[in-house]
Amino acid sequence: MAQRKKGNRVIRQRPDRRANRTILIRSLFLMAIFGLLAFIPLFVKLWQIQISQHEYYQDLAVQQQTRDSTVTANRGTIYDSNGEVLAMSATVYNVQLSPRDLVETQESYQKAVEKAQESGGKLPDYPEPTDQFIAENLAAILELEVEDVLDHLQNKNSQYEMIKYRIDPEESDAVQEFITENHLSHGIYLMPTSKRYYPKGSLAAQVIGWVNPNLDNVGAYGLEAQFESELSGQTGRVVTAKDGVGTELLYRFEDYYDATDGDNLTLTLDATIQSYCESILQEGVEQFDVQDGGFCIAMDPNTGAILGWANSPTYDPNDPWTVSDPVLQAYLESVKSNPASNEAAYQKALAEGCSAEEAAEASISNAKWVVQNAQWTNKAVTSSYEPGSTFKSVVLAAALEEGVVSESDHFYCSGSVMVEGYDDPIRCSDRDGHGDQDLAKAVANSCNPAFIAIGQRLGAEKFYDYLEDFGFLGPTNIDMQGEPSSGGQIVWSRDSFTNVDLAVASFGQRFNVTPLQLITAASAVVNGGHLMQPYVVSQITDADGNVIQHTEPTEIRQVVSERTSERCRTILEKVVDGGTGKNAAVEGYRIGGKTGSSETTETDHTIVSFLGFAPADDPQVVILLAYDNPKPAYPGANVTADQWYISGGNMAAIKAGELLEKILDHLGVEKSYSANDDVLVPNLNGLNLADATSALQKNNLTIRTVGDGDTVTGQIPANGASIPGGSEVVVYMGVDVPTDQVTVPNLDGLSMDQAKQRLSALGLYLKATGATEYGSNVVAYDQSIAAGTSVDRGTTVEVRFTDSTASGAGL
Amino acid sequence: MTKRRRDLTVLQQLSRGPIDIPFLMLVVILTAIGVVAVFSASYPTAMNEGLNPANYFIKQAGFGVVGLVAMYLISKINYQTFRGLSIFVLGVSIVLLVLVLPFGYGRSTVGAQRWISLPIIGGFQPSEIAKVGVIMYFAARLSKRNTEKHKRLPPRHPLSGLYAWMDEKGVLEPIPYFLILGVVAILMLMEPHMSGTILVLVGGASVLFAAGIKLYWFVGGGTLAAAGLFFIMTQTSYMATRLAIWKDPWNDGMNGRDKGFQIIQSLYAIGSGGLLGVGFGKSRQKFLYLPESENDYIFSIWCEEMGFVGAAIVIILFILLVIRGYWIAVHARDRFGALLVVGITTLTAVQVFLNISVVTNLIPSTGISLPFFSYGGTALMIQLAEMGMVLSVSRQIPAPKQE
Repeated sequence: MAQRKKGNRVIRQRPDRRANRTILIRSLFLMAIFGLLAFIPLFVKLWQIQISQHEYYQDLAVQQQTRDSTVTANRGTIYDSNGEVLAMSATVYNVQLSPRDLVETQESYQKAVEKAQESGGKLPDYPEPTDQFIAENLAAILELEVEDVLDHLQNKNSQYEMIKYRIDPEESDAVQEFITENHLSHGIYLMPTSKRYYPKGSLAAQVIGWVNPNLDNVGAYGLEAQFESELSGQTGRVVTAKDGVGTELLYRFEDYYDATDGDNLTLTLDATIQSYCESILQEGVEQFDVQDGGFCIAMDPNTGAILGWANSPTYDPNDPWTVSDPVLQAYLESVKSNPASNEAAYQKALAEGCSAEEAAEASISNAKWVVQNAQWTNKAVTSSYEPGSTFKSVVLAAALEEGVVSESDHFYCSGSVMVEGYDDPIRCSDRDGHGDQDLAKAVANSCNPAFIAIGQRLGAEKFYDYLEDFGFLGPTNIDMQGEPSSGGQIVWSRDSFTNVDLAVASFGQRFNVTPLQLITAASAVVNGGHLMQPYVVSQITDADGNVIQHTEPTEIRQVVSERTSERCRTILEKVVDGGTGKNAAVEGYRIGGKTGSSETTETDHTIVSFLGFAPADDPQVVILLAYDNPKPAYPGANVTADQWYISGGNMAAIKAGELLEKILDHLGVEKSYSANDDVLVPNLNGLNLADATSALQKNNLTIRTVGDGDTVTGQIPANGASIPGGSEVVVYMGVDVPTDQVTVPNLDGLSMDQAKQRLSALGLYLKATGATEYGSNVVAYDQSIAAGTSVDRGTTVEVRFTDSTASGAGL
Repeated sequence: MTKRRRDLTVLQQLSRGPIDIPFLMLVVILTAIGVVAVFSASYPTAMNEGLNPANYFIKQAGFGVVGLVAMYLISKINYQTFRGLSIFVLGVSIVLLVLVLPFGYGRSTVGAQRWISLPIIGGFQPSEIAKVGVIMYFAARLSKRNTEKHKRLPPRHPLSGLYAWMDEKGVLEPIPYFLILGVVAILMLMEPHMSGTILVLVGGASVLFAAGIKLYWFVGGGTLAAAGLFFIMTQTSYMATRLAIWKDPWNDGMNGRDKGFQIIQSLYAIGSGGLLGVGFGKSRQKFLYLPESENDYIFSIWCEEMGFVGAAIVIILFILLVIRGYWIAVHARDRFGALLVVGITTLTAVQVFLNISVVTNLIPSTGISLPFFSYGGTALMIQLAEMGMVLSVSRQIPAPKQE
């Protein structure tokens, strides 16, 4: 009911039913639409966004809302068996620019200047942080191009512009100072990261391997790669929330995932033995003009632990891409000067339609790749070679174990032998033949016909059994990368192993083994018959020092008996004691071994090797030293340019003797001397002639007097000096001891008697090592004090002798 | 000196009738939730501006309280008074819409001259007044349409026959209203203020519709609007880019960092909420990611914090408010009350619908605030004043006859 006033009258408005009805219906219509229908799509849309696509949008939102910074875990350290650090990680810094933050820093500088100008306050006491200023200074500190830094600074929206990675501590200090002095902490950041250091440089480089700093410090080669998951640890994360302009929201939505530091490896390698192995290897490479490097493994025969493991050529894992080996460098240079010489790569590039220039580039980069691989590869586990005569030690053990030969057996060698099934005679290294020899002599002579006979006595079946038992048919399962799954390459299957195969296999030819297989088998020959599983990682500990894994020596099987092993040791000792390995002899140590000169399919390419163990009665170490391809003086020559006869006995054995002496000394194995043992010079001061003489006699020394006083007033050598037994001591009676020095003479090429005379004339003493007692052709080749050095009278000069005309019996 | 009941006129007695409690409660609840939402959504913005984190909240809460009091007082007014006031309100709003063009501000912040500052009242948008003015005036005039004298042309006039025919078919009736809407719309488009224009048109149209204007006007108007919209969308580059961004916000030429940025951030916020939300106050998107997070996009933050459930509850409250509004309209004592309430309710409903549609990218973006929620003191006050009018109408609803 509506009322309406008009003037004084009140007009009753008649209810208009039709109008009211229209309003009612249309209002209800609007209600239906805006009170219900319109909102249905909203619910649908919200459901889609919030429920169906919730995770999608949440992920995107979280991505922009959080700053996910990683916390690098410290990579584990690698220690040698004595706890010396072989590889370690340290924190270094990457330099990161944030042009976006720098813009703000620059703006706030401007504001500060404006404010100062308005209010008359102080201007900032540091220079304006212009892009130019920042670029110039950083470029100067980091040795970068100013232009490059400016380029980075141009990306004004970016927050992450890395301008240099892993800078030195001095550089990072300088950058920090620059940041502090110029108030640039908002915009220039030093981001911690880690760098791998190998404090001992190239030591055990192929065993340890290296990490690739360009790929997040992931292990690329060697143990670094093999034990990547153990060493790397677990990278941690800090997730912090940030607001829309990138400011961190402290204490909001912060999540930590702690980094777990990597585990540490303790190796069986002994850094000292390792360095001996490497220096011996390298010396030999230079001495014998070796072209393809070599390897040297030292193993504890009783456990299978690898004590030293050297490869040549080598490199410095701190800078793995640099080629420092002279032989490899020379090759690289030659390819650079004549790219076509790297024929395969060059022709391949040409065939692919490259221009001559591109082909040259391809050839060079291929050569670079080849040499880098050569220096990184641990050949002693990855590649195989013909073991040659060193393998005879294994055949010997098998034959003795089977009882098909005994020490009293005799073998006749005429220089060659016919084998059934093969048309040509198989020659022995000594063309004239070794004549009649007992078993020990046959081994010492490394006589091929004798070993063919031994092989025949064993028979193909048994022989093959022993190949298997000594582990030549499969991998050694050492904890190192790169071992071929077949082990070496025994090319014959059991069924196809013929009589001729047996004949050549008996002296180690026509099949390949890995150096590691050979030394593992040889260890079994001398250690009492136990085939041990070789290993290099003795222990894995976590960052807190808890032992996670400890490697116990694992015996795979007993191959031959203790007794057989003992007999082998005795026979193999004779190889060094007057046989082909006599150059490996070390005065005072009992060394056993077997020489080897392996032929290859290439002409004039020999691998000379020596397999040695010591002490012969109770082996503490087994070594396998090989030089690959000493360069003959001229094609077909059997000597090098320096007149070294190319054979295991004349090359590897010499170096092996030195190496064993050093290792045994390091291991604390005492030398045992006979007649020529060193003796101590007693104090003769104040004694009369008779007393002095008898005192010297007691010590196996002779006397020579100078002067005619009653009592001794001086002596050379001095009290307490150690000189070879039987030497002469000069006694001064009332005469002053001469204090002048004498010059050490050059003894190269002298026989032992000549050397002794030459030295004693000067008042010096000779201590002979090496092949000292055998034959007339034994001459000095190395001396402990270089010729020309001035020394006191009475000094002992250690001289190493070698039998320079040892027959070609290196086989 | 309160007069005793028997001293009052019938009209006065009627205006003291019981207020509609459900509608009142819904308004109070929505205002309370809205103010709280402003608190959560605005404090990162306030902190970023170096203000007290509660700065916006305190202001909004103040306006909310004052607005609720104003609403109550307005509800006490006999709404018949608004009939007379309506022409005045409309006139003032048109004057203000003219004045805002030279004297207003907003060009620098939003690129449109929408605000005007008056002594005491402070800054506000004349368009807010215009919406109410149009609805009030239309309701006042259209409620009398059945009693209005129909003008006739002199019988001799050559067009008198046509005129009479057109008058009879209702062709002529809405023309004055269209003229008013046209003037207001043109003034607002000059600011420019597209979304405000839409709302004024919607408010006016809803009253016209409810009042019984011939349906063909709406069919024709709807067709015309659709054609116009289609033309604008397809033929103008301005709308074309908006449309492209609506279809794929990342396709703005800067991989979602330019024009698509705001809607993308809004979607991130809403999507992050999931079913139950990240928890009140725990929105991350409000930390300088989502522009206008306390204003037009406040609902996105609400969705993020309270999830689908919280969003649905708010929408349901709005739906209930709207339905109750129409209920009051259809029960109103007279046509003026009914049309007034229909206009205000429809306006509110459309505003809610458009705002939520925009933040969820259901429709291309246009700047429409969410009633009771979006930060803005005078807007909230005017909103609550409108609710006061509805409540005023509700007081005069005749009590159901007791059988």
